[in-house]
Amino acid sequence: MAAKRYDAVIVGGGHNGLTAAAYLARAGRSVLVLEKRHVLGGAAVTEEVHPGFRFSEMSYVVSLLRPEIIRELELPKHGLEILPLDGTITPLEDDYLWRVNDHGRTIRELRRWSKSDAEAYEEYGQLMADMARFVKPILSVVPPDPGAINPFDWMPVVGLAKTFRDLPERLQATFVQLMTMSATEFLQQWFETDPLIATMSASGIIGTFQGVRSPGTAYVLLHHYMGEIDGAFRAWGIPRGGTGGISEAIGSAAASLGAEIRTEAPVARIDVRNGRAVGVVLESGEEIRAGTVLSSVDSHLTFLKLVEESALDPEFRDEVKRYKYRGSSGKVNLALDALPELACKPGVGEWLRGAISFSPGVDYMERAYDDAKYGRFSRRPYIDCIFPTLVDPSMAPPGKHVMSCFVQYAPYHLSEGRTWTDAERDAFGETVLDTLEERFPNLRSLILHKQVLTPLDIEEMTGLTEGNIFQGELSLEQLFFNRPVPGWARYRTPIKDLWMCGSATHPGGGIMGAPGRIAALELLKEKSRKRGRAA
Amino acid sequence: MAYDAIVIGAGHNGLVTAAYLAKAGRKVLVLERRERVGGILDTIEIADGFRAPGIVHTVGRLRSSVVRDLGLVKHGLETVDPAVRLFAPQPDGPALTLWADASRTAGELRERSVADAEAYPEFDRRIRSLASFLSYVHAITPPDVKDPSMADAMNGLKIGNAFRRLGKRPGREATRALPMAIADYVAETFETDAVRGAIASRAVQYTAMGPWSAGTTTVLLADSAGNDGGAPGQSTMARGGPGALAEALAAAARSFGAEIRTGAEVAQVLTRNHRVTGVALADGSEIHARVVVTAADPKRTLTTLVDPVEIGPHLRWRATNIRTPGAVSKVNLALSGLPSFDGAEPERLAGRIVIGHSIDHLERAFDASKYGAIGEEPFLEATIPTISDPSLAPEGSHVMSIVAQWTPHALRDGDWGAERDALADLVVKTMERFAPGLSDLVVARQVITPVDLEADYGLSGGHVYHAEPGLDQFFVWRPLFGHARYRFGLPGLYLCGSGAHPGGGVTGAPGANAAREILADLKKRAPR
Repeated sequence: MAAKRYDAVIVGGGHNGLTAAAYLARAGRSVLVLEKRHVLGGAAVTEEVHPGFRFSEMSYVVSLLRPEIIRELELPKHGLEILPLDGTITPLEDDYLWRVNDHGRTIRELRRWSKSDAEAYEEYGQLMADMARFVKPILSVVPPDPGAINPFDWMPVVGLAKTFRDLPERLQATFVQLMTMSATEFLQQWFETDPLIATMSASGIIGTFQGVRSPGTAYVLLHHYMGEIDGAFRAWGIPRGGTGGISEAIGSAAASLGAEIRTEAPVARIDVRNGRAVGVVLESGEEIRAGTVLSSVDSHLTFLKLVEESALDPEFRDEVKRYKYRGSSGKVNLALDALPELACKPGVGEWLRGAISFSPGVDYMERAYDDAKYGRFSRRPYIDCIFPTLVDPSMAPPGKHVMSCFVQYAPYHLSEGRTWTDAERDAFGETVLDTLEERFPNLRSLILHKQVLTPLDIEEMTGLTEGNIFQGELSLEQLFFNRPVPGWARYRTPIKDLWMCGSATHPGGGIMGAPGRIAALELLKEKSRKRGRAA
Repeated sequence: MAYDAIVIGAGHNGLVTAAYLAKAGRKVLVLERRERVGGILDTIEIADGFRAPGIVHTVGRLRSSVVRDLGLVKHGLETVDPAVRLFAPQPDGPALTLWADASRTAGELRERSVADAEAYPEFDRRIRSLASFLSYVHAITPPDVKDPSMADAMNGLKIGNAFRRLGKRPGREATRALPMAIADYVAETFETDAVRGAIASRAVQYTAMGPWSAGTTTVLLADSAGNDGGAPGQSTMARGGPGALAEALAAAARSFGAEIRTGAEVAQVLTRNHRVTGVALADGSEIHARVVVTAADPKRTLTTLVDPVEIGPHLRWRATNIRTPGAVSKVNLALSGLPSFDGAEPERLAGRIVIGHSIDHLERAFDASKYGAIGEEPFLEATIPTISDPSLAPEGSHVMSIVAQWTPHALRDGDWGAERDALADLVVKTMERFAPGLSDLVVARQVITPVDLEADYGLSGGHVYHAEPGLDQFFVWRPLFGHARYRFGLPGLYLCGSGAHPGGGVTGAPGANAAREILADLKKRAPR
């Protein structure tokens, strides 16, 4: 009997692949999602790495998941529940800087450091909120091709330009600065407190190969004011059951809408016949036919691994090859016998319920970056920790805890031809623990199990090229119409019926779901247009 | 009213604006605080019979339109164009030479790397085509975003056409290349550290950015825009030193009827009913004019020359945040003979001599400045003008002009008063590594630190470009969003210096663009 032919087959069961699947199924298309691993989620996974302890192995917090996706796919009905993370504490030698979601308390805390910073914080917060309102629409625009002047493609951009023109000058100027300045220099216009500037700047470099003083890092500061949970600005949270909870919710939504999802079904290649994608071939040899193939994996994997060379013009392949990945971060997950205490703020209190940011000063952050530039992991890295078990006890046995540490910098490419061997991984893990113990003196004694992930590990687990968690460096020249390949930012590819729908595409990485949603809607629009013409 | 326009500062842009205004029949007065015209276009006697470039030592970025319009040749400008553009001695292996002639360069590159030799001519062409596109952008007044004028629309079309002429792929290339870090950009084409470093050096010079900073590719392209720079950059010098160009500009301005007063320091810009009416000099005298044009840097202008009440607290706050991180020092050497770079023939030494032998070298030199220190091996760009222009030194002697980077204006430990000699020693030592015996040739030396640049030349933060040429202070938002159209802060006040679009470097473009806008406004308003 002839194998079933799907309207769409999606390569990769990460949150974007699943989102695209859900939207296509919702429109009545027959959809199949193929995930190589035994779990869904890609970089947004939860796994029981140590008996009784469940880790959000890679991606660990959420704030950018588009609210329209939560609504349209009714994710709460499918088990999505996001628990708020309250604030950020920056531990120092003998003091700390602690910001909470309660504005008034944060202001009082800042006054301890600098009266003018406390005042500026109000003004700054208002300005960024105003900015975020303007920038949001950009997240749902399909970027045009600067090389081709198609008026229809440019219309949304022209629309944004009009909105921009009508903004007050102070917002226009701020927008330009956000797009071009370094996070630190942007913030220094308002603030003087070093730990405050360093900690706020840190969000500008997460997952990138940039320093807090590198031009172009200011933009990400906005994300903190764009993150919406239940429509509430700025709240960051973690999903119940870890970030895998999001993937499972989206997967369950997709399934309930009729999408088929297969795990442990690695795709060997995308089947291209006379310039048109007709399906995929699994590593098992199984062939699957589809009207459209959507790839939610990065452009490197899609075009250099899954598509045979002859199907693409060499110039395009060169563009893909020179696209930069260079993963820069690692992850250390700890299973703990009990909660550690901060030397600078002993006891167990609400300050441990938010993020603990190892970012004592701008120089510290820059030195961490300098190490990476010359091909070694930071001797004193920037670390962003959370204790998921404090907001979601289900992640560990009663009384036990999980500590999730995002670590930067850990460059994928090490100098002098060194590679990420087990010895390098251990050295990296020890450096992280040493850094943590400077503020959590009793930490090592509490460790029951430790998981250290280098960029190479992340690449091997998820397939993410060079372990870049955003499927491509978020540097200015790789954004908007240059993402994922210059001139091919419209989710289409040079191969007919092959589409891209992952973080590699605009608006990029983070547990946002936007690329998957926009790609699916764009595909549906094109199909209906075609049918319109056919009729 | 006595004058149509008063120009504050007789640097090259101030003189260019004055000359264009005077040429159009306007009554112009230029006021210069120093005793000489030229600002950083300066020729300084550093020892008996030895004359060296004050700061900048090449003038090849000067717009040909400016030379033509103002008849600079007639007014004594004589330039020398060495066949060599850049000579880069290497710590290991032979020095790298980039010639004006790309094929000659490629030919020599073969011994170093066949791949680089083959990539070079195409890279040079690409830089030229992208730079030529940028030169259109440099020639126009940034559009008024709030309500675009007819002229803005025309400019938009011009640029649109220029962009389309680039072709589809180069078009994409432009949007991709401009925000890139030069380290990435050169690495895409070249494999050897020597070539990468030599080309990248031009993209970071006079800035507080390292080769890994986003947007440095724009700096390289801007450097080659509207001149014959290409990939290696230009190495054109003015006979008699850079000061000679300033003299020619002053002579041209005077010939059109402009008055130039040196030793006349402006203390304040005068206003009445929120409109500029003239200036008050340090000696207390007042001079009135319909408009005032400032060639001083924008931060200095808004924070020291105008009444804070007139511009209001918000604009003043923005002005204080204009980034001016000066990181350049100058060391001039009087030499008893020509230094030997591993026996390289003088022809190779006639252009720019660059100590910037790899991306890592440049980046490390930059790193130190982030922490308020000077690296162990600073990035140097030197010229020996006496090779092409012996008149600058006694028979058989030479002068070496060295730009040293990165030497931060704000040193974290110690102060420049104490560090200046240490810096000179470091610079000579660094250069001597490639030119053994250099120190024995030194008969005199002169050091200009970022603090001197601020105190003596009036540059905020000692920044030679008036404002950092970062992506955040570029085109429509240079120096400030909403104040990029040469009309600056107050009705009747104009900005014509390097702080305005298209920015620093001896181009005369900001001055020429500003003059165009000022003349348009003067026509609009009937003389009182």
